[in-house]
Amino acid sequence: MAKIKRRGESGAAKNYITRTQALKKLQISLSDFRRLCILKGIYPREPTNKKKANKGSSAPASFYYSKDILYLLHEPLLQKFREHKTFAKKLARALGRGEWALAAGLEERKPLARLDHLVKERYPTFKQALQDLNDPLSLLCLFERLPRDPVPGKTQVPPEITAECGKLVAEWKVWAIRTHALRKVFLSIKGVYYECEVPAGRSGETVNVRWLEPWEFKQTVPADVDFRILLTFLDLYRTLTSFVLFKLYTDENLVYPPQLDVKLDEAGQGVGKFKLVERAPEVEAAPAETKDGKRITKKDVKKSIKSIAHAGTAEGMEVDEEVPEVKEEQDEEFVYHPSKNDEEAADPANAPPTPRLPDYTLFSPYTFYLSRETSSRTWEFVIRAFGGKVVTADSIATLDPTVASQITHILLDRPMEPAVMRKLQGDHKWTWVQPQWVADCANLRRLLPAGEGSGYEPGGTLPPHVSPWDGEGVNDRPWLGVEARAAATAEDEESGDEEMAVDGSEVLDTPAMRAAAENPADSTLVHQAELEAEASGVDHAAFKKHLAQLSKSRAEGPADTKKNKKPAAAAAAAAAAEEDQRKIMMTGKKQRLYEKMQYSNNERRQEADKLESKRQAIEKRKKKEGKK
Amino acid sequence: MPPKKTNQRPQRVVQSAKPAAARKPAAKRSREEDREESTYAGETLLNGKLAPEEDDEDDEDFEIDTGSSNGDLEDFLDREALDSPADDEEDEGDDDEGYNTSDIEAMEDASDDEGDLDDTSSVASSSVAPSTVPDSNLTLDQLIARHTYKPDENMDIHVSAATGGRPLVGDEKSGKFSSAKEGTGRLVPSKFVKGGMTREYEDIEAGYGSESSTEENTNTIGNVPIEWYDDLPHIGYDVNGRKIMRPAKGDELDKFLATVEDPDSWQVALHITRLPELTFSDKLLQQQVQLSDRELDIIRRLQNAENPDADYDPYQSTIEWFTGKGNEMTMPLSAAPEPKRRFVPSKWEHKKVMKIVRAIREGRIVPNKPAVEKPKVYGIWSNDDVENPPHAMYMPAPQIPPPKTVESYNPPEEYLFDEEERREWEQQEKEDRKVDFMPQKHDALRRVPGYEHFVQERFERCLDLYLAPRTRKVKLNIDPESLVPKLPSPKELRPFPTNCAVQYRHPANSRVRCVSVDARGEWVASGSEDGIVRVWDLGNGREVWRWNLKGGPVQAVEWSPNKEECILSAAVAGRIYLLAPLALISPHVAQATLTHLNTAFSSSSASTSNTAGKPQVPDAKWVRPSEDERDRGMMVIVEVQGTPKQLTWHRKGDYFASVAVDASNKSVLIHQLSKHQTQSPFKRTKGAVQRVAFHPHKPHFFVATQRYVRLYDLVGQQLIKTLMTGLKWISSLDVHPLGDNLIVGSYDKKLCWFDLDLSTKPYKTLRYHTKALRAVAYHRAYPLFASASDDGSIQIFHGTVYSDLMQNPLIVPLKVLRGHQITDGLGVLDLRWHPTKPWLISSGADGEVRLWSS
Repeated sequence: MAKIKRRGESGAAKNYITRTQALKKLQISLSDFRRLCILKGIYPREPTNKKKANKGSSAPASFYYSKDILYLLHEPLLQKFREHKTFAKKLARALGRGEWALAAGLEERKPLARLDHLVKERYPTFKQALQDLNDPLSLLCLFERLPRDPVPGKTQVPPEITAECGKLVAEWKVWAIRTHALRKVFLSIKGVYYECEVPAGRSGETVNVRWLEPWEFKQTVPADVDFRILLTFLDLYRTLTSFVLFKLYTDENLVYPPQLDVKLDEAGQGVGKFKLVERAPEVEAAPAETKDGKRITKKDVKKSIKSIAHAGTAEGMEVDEEVPEVKEEQDEEFVYHPSKNDEEAADPANAPPTPRLPDYTLFSPYTFYLSRETSSRTWEFVIRAFGGKVVTADSIATLDPTVASQITHILLDRPMEPAVMRKLQGDHKWTWVQPQWVADCANLRRLLPAGEGSGYEPGGTLPPHVSPWDGEGVNDRPWLGVEARAAATAEDEESGDEEMAVDGSEVLDTPAMRAAAENPADSTLVHQAELEAEASGVDHAAFKKHLAQLSKSRAEGPADTKKNKKPAAAAAAAAAAEEDQRKIMMTGKKQRLYEKMQYSNNERRQEADKLESKRQAIEKRKKKEGKK
Repeated sequence: MPPKKTNQRPQRVVQSAKPAAARKPAAKRSREEDREESTYAGETLLNGKLAPEEDDEDDEDFEIDTGSSNGDLEDFLDREALDSPADDEEDEGDDDEGYNTSDIEAMEDASDDEGDLDDTSSVASSSVAPSTVPDSNLTLDQLIARHTYKPDENMDIHVSAATGGRPLVGDEKSGKFSSAKEGTGRLVPSKFVKGGMTREYEDIEAGYGSESSTEENTNTIGNVPIEWYDDLPHIGYDVNGRKIMRPAKGDELDKFLATVEDPDSWQVALHITRLPELTFSDKLLQQQVQLSDRELDIIRRLQNAENPDADYDPYQSTIEWFTGKGNEMTMPLSAAPEPKRRFVPSKWEHKKVMKIVRAIREGRIVPNKPAVEKPKVYGIWSNDDVENPPHAMYMPAPQIPPPKTVESYNPPEEYLFDEEERREWEQQEKEDRKVDFMPQKHDALRRVPGYEHFVQERFERCLDLYLAPRTRKVKLNIDPESLVPKLPSPKELRPFPTNCAVQYRHPANSRVRCVSVDARGEWVASGSEDGIVRVWDLGNGREVWRWNLKGGPVQAVEWSPNKEECILSAAVAGRIYLLAPLALISPHVAQATLTHLNTAFSSSSASTSNTAGKPQVPDAKWVRPSEDERDRGMMVIVEVQGTPKQLTWHRKGDYFASVAVDASNKSVLIHQLSKHQTQSPFKRTKGAVQRVAFHPHKPHFFVATQRYVRLYDLVGQQLIKTLMTGLKWISSLDVHPLGDNLIVGSYDKKLCWFDLDLSTKPYKTLRYHTKALRAVAYHRAYPLFASASDDGSIQIFHGTVYSDLMQNPLIVPLKVLRGHQITDGLGVLDLRWHPTKPWLISSGADGEVRLWSS
C-alpha cells in the first residue's frame, strides 16, 4: 500500500512560509527581517495556489520560499545583528551610568557587518553582477547629490555615504572613459541615461549596463519615502559596485581605488580628479595599493590644504591645464593634457586587452570647450568616453590663446548672436554646437553636420532627440531570454541544412518578410520577420540574404505593385477568409490564446498607427504654415 | 460582708476566664508585677492604667456590668458557679435557682447608695468605692492580675459600644468604659430574683463606626417590597418583634414647605438622587434621612476612592523599632571565623595573570594592537566561477525596460499628448498609466527642469525588489499563426457549392420547414408553413406540382431513395401522406410507384392494421384517399399519433421511420410501405427522441435523444452503443454513407463528429455558428458535409473518411454560404445535398429555397 499523504506535509504547503512564520522562526524583528531580505536578495513569491500554500487559509499573506528562510537561520549577518543588539544595550547602559571609558571601549569594539560574502553569494559570477548593476548605479547617482536630511526630521543620510556614492560613480566613469565603454547616451526628461558595454570575463562576453543619472537639481523627496530602506539597499549597492570596480580596474591593470587628487577635487573637477596608477607587473597588487593609499591620506591632504590657502587668487584660472604638467610621467592622466597625445596613442598597445572599434573614439581628433551652462558632469564624461578632449573655463573670452587654438568645438547651450560668436571666434576654426549634438553623434557613431541650418547651432531648433533603445524588448526577463535562445538553438539543430535549402525561400515568403522588405529601415518590422524566420527554422544568414533580395526587387518594381494592387487586395481578403475558416478547427484553448495574441498585436499596431497618423497631421499642418 | 463579697466575685470571674493551672502563680504575684506584665497586652493595658487612679472595684463593677448586659454570659457564669462547689455553698444559701453576679451587684449598689437612684451620680459611687475596700488591696491585686486574661467577648462588646470599635485613645482612656459604675441605669425589680432589683439601661446610641451603626436598620421585614405594608398602619417590625408604626407624613405642600424652609433639604435630595443604595433603609422606615456633614464627607471620600476615615494618615512616618540610630546590632549573626580566601590573594588568578604577562614579555600578545582588517575590496570573482545550477525557484527581478523616445526631453512632436490624451492620462489611476510621466518637449537642454518623481521612482523600484511577490510566467514568444492548424487549401478540395444558382420562392414568404431532392436529382420538394407541399423543377426553379394538405404546417418532406419509384412522403399534424407526382414521371416509374403503394390495399384492405404477428400500432391507420385525391397524386394517408417532425427512409425505399416528439412512447414509428404496416420498435424510449436514422447498409438504427445518440440493432433488438455527445440539445443527425461516422448538430451551436470505431465521445466538436444548428447533412457521393444554422449561414466542410482505420477523418472547413435572410430569429431551417452533384439545397425561414452550386 502506498504511503498515506498527509495534508500540509508536502508540496506548496511545505514550499512556502508566510512572513509572520518566518519572523517567528528567525526570532527577529520585522525591520531586521527587512534588512536581511534586502541584503540577501530574498523576495516573496506568488504561489500558484495560495490556499494550498497557506494551509487552507485564504487570509492575505506574503509567502516566502521556505528554504530561503531556512538558509537565513545560519546567516552570519543575523549573528551580527544580534551582536549589534547586545552592543547597543551595553553602550546604552554604559552611557546611562556615565561610564565613559567603558563606552569608549565598547565603541571601539563595535561589531561591524561586512557584506562581501553576500556579493559573492548573490552573484557567483562577474557576469551576473554586471547584469544586476543597473539599479545600483542609478541609486548611487541619486545619492551622490542628496542632502544630509532629505526628509527633514527623519532618517538622515550621513555625508560620508554621500561622498562614497559620488566617489564610486566617478570611478565607474573614469573606468568607462579609459576603456571607451560608453555606447549610448539618452537625454530624457528624467535625467541622462547612459549605457556601457562591459566585458564580463575572458570569453569576450559583454554585458550592457544602463544607468540613469538625474538632472543636477535639488530632488523633491516625498515624506513617505523611507530612507532606511534606501540606505539598506545603498549599503549593498556600494559594496557590490566597489567589488565590480575592483575587478574592472584590476582587469585593466590599474590600481584600485584610484588616487584622488585632492587639489583637483577641491577645484570642482568631476571625473578628472583621479590619478590612475598602473599596477606594477611583478609586485603583488595589495601592498602597492596600501602604500599608495597611505601616501595620499595625510601628507597630500595637508599639502593640498596649504596649496589652496596659497592659491586664493587663482580662482578664475584653469586648474586642469596647469596641474597635469606637475604630474608624474607614468600616471595615466585623463584631464586635458595637450602634450600627451603621442603617449596616449602609444598606450592602447599595452593597456587595453580588447581592441576597440574606432567608432567608440569618435571625438578623438577634437577638443571641446564646455560652456559654463553645460553640465560638465555629463558632457565631460561623454566626450572623453568617446575619445575627445575637454576644456572648461569661465568664459571663452578669457581663454588662453594656445588652448583656444586647439579647440575645435564649442558646446554652448544658450542663444548667441552670430556676430558675437564671430567676434569671440576670431580666426579660430570652431564649430558651435548644442549639447544634443554630442549625444546624437555618440548614439549614431558618426559626426552629424553641425553648421548653420542643421539645428544644432546655438539657438537653433533642435532636431528631435530619439531614444537609442527604440525597438528593443519591452521587458527584459533574463530567464525567458535564456529559454527562448535554448529553444531556438534546439530547433536549429533539429532542422537539417538540406531541408532548409529546399524550402527556405518558401518559408521565408511570409507577410512579415514582405513588409520588412518593403521598409527595411523599420527595425521592428525586420525584427518581426527575423523572429518568424527563426521560428520556421531558417538561419540568420539565409534570412539576411533573402531580405536583401526581396527589398531589392521591391525597390525595382514599385509600379508593378501598384498595378497589382486591386487583385492583391481581393486575394488578401480571400486569404483572410480562408484563415478564418481554418480557425474553426482550432481547439478552444488555442483559440483563446490566439485571440489574446492577436489582441495585443493589434494594440501595438494601433499605437504605432496612431503615432504615424499624428505625425502626418503635424507634417501637413507645418507645410500649410510654411506656405503661408 | 464586703470583703467576702469581693473575694467571691473576682474568683468567679477568674475561674471563668483562666485555666486552673494559671491561677496560682498569678495569685502569688504582687500588684507591681502585675502592672509590669500588663504592659504586654493591649487590653490589659487599660487595666494597668486604670489601676493607679481607680479602685479595684472599678474592675469588679466592670465585670458585673458585663454580666448584666449579656444574657449568655450569665448562663455561662452560672455553669461556672456550678463547677466550683466550694464557692457555691455560700451562694446556694441565697438562691437555689442560681443568681447571677449582676443581681448581687445590683443589691450591693442598692445597699451602697440608695439615694442615688437617678443616673447622674456616677462619680459618687466611684468616690465611695475606694473607701469601701482599703484593706483588701492585696487580694484585689491578685484579682486584677487574673483579670488580664479575662474573656474577650465581654470587653469587646463594651469597647465597641463605647468607642465605636476603635482602640481607645485620649479621653476615652480616662476610664469611662461604662456607665454602669455611675449608676445610670434604672433600677427595676428583677425578674429572676424575688425582691431583687436589676438595673435597666437606656439603649446605647451607637456612634458611627460601631458595628451596630451599620445595622441600624431596625425594620426587620427583610428584602420584601415595602408596598406590602401600604395598607397597614405599621411598616414592619423591630428587632424585638414590635411593630414599627408608620411615621406621620406630610402632604405635598408640607414637603414643599420643608424644602423651602429647610436649608438642608438638598442633602435629602442628594440622598435620594445620588445615593439610591442608602434610600433602602429610608424606604423601610418610610422616612427621610438627613445626612450629616460627616456622612457626606464619608460619601465624598468613598466616591474619590479614599479612605473613609478623615483621620487616616496614609503617610505615617515609620517607627524604627529595630533599625536606626541606637538600634545597631552589636553582635555578629554568625560566629564562623573569616575564611582564608577572603584575605589571601588567589593563586590561580596569579597564575593566569602571570601567563598573560609572560606572553606579553615574549611578544606573543601585543596589547592594544589594532585588529587586522580585511581589505575593503579584493578580487572575489575569478575566471573559473560557475553559475549556480538553474533552479525553478530562482527568479531574478526583471530589469526596468530601456527608455523609449517618448521619454526624450526633445521628442518628435507626435509623441506629445494632444488634449484628449492628456485628459485621459490625468484621469487614469497611477497604476493604469502606460507611461508614468507626461511627455514634454523642451527646445533646449538648459530648459529641462528636474524630474520631481525621481526619488519616488527609485524608492518604488527598491520596494518592488524586496516586497513584490515574484512568480514565473511563461510568456509564449511564438507567432500566433503557428497556432492555426495546417490544412489543405479549399482550392485543392473542389468541387463544393460556392454560390446560389437557383431560388425557389414561396408565396407570402411562409417559412419552408423542410426540403428534399428526389433520388434522380430532378425534383425538389418543399413543405412550407401554409400547409402546401410543392414540387419544383430543380434546374429552373419552376413550381411544377403542389398538394395542399390542409393539416397545418408541413413538418417534413422526404423522397423515397429508390430510383425506380417516385414517392414523396410528407408529414403534417397527425398524418403522413405518401404522394406521387404521377404526371411528371415516366410511365414505368409511375407504374412501379402505384404498384408499390397499392399492393397492400388490394391484398387485405380490411385488415391492414393488425395482421402480422409483430407488435402493431393500433393508432396508426393506413387510409386510402378518395378517387379524386388519388388522381391528384395523394396515394396513401397514414394516420398517426402526435405530429411527426421527421421522416426518414430506409435505403431500399420500403421502410420509412417517423418521429413525433409529442407522442410519448409511440414517438418513433417504422412504417412498411409494401404491407401497410406500422410498428413501434421501442416499448419505452429513454428521453425525448429528436431524430432517427437508418444505418446505410446494416440493420442498425440511430436514435438521438436530447443528449445522447443510441445505436440499436433492429434484427437482434438490442442496444449496441450509446454515444456521449456532450451537447445540451441535439437538433439534427446524419450518418456518413459508409456508416462509420456520424455528425450531430445541436441547438447549443455545436457540431460533433463521431467516429464510431474510435470512441463513444466525439472525435471533434466544432463551434463556429453563432446560433443554433438546425440541420446537418453528408453528401452521398462527395466527401462533403454541411450544417445550417439560425444565423442564416451554411457552412460547407470537406470531410474525408479514410479506409485505413489508423487515419483520422480529415475535416476542412471550406466555405460559408450566406444568402438566407434571418426572420423572427430563424435562419436556414433545412438543407439537403443533391444525390449525385456537389449541389446543396437549403430552405429558410424567409420563404425561400436555394440551390447552391459550385
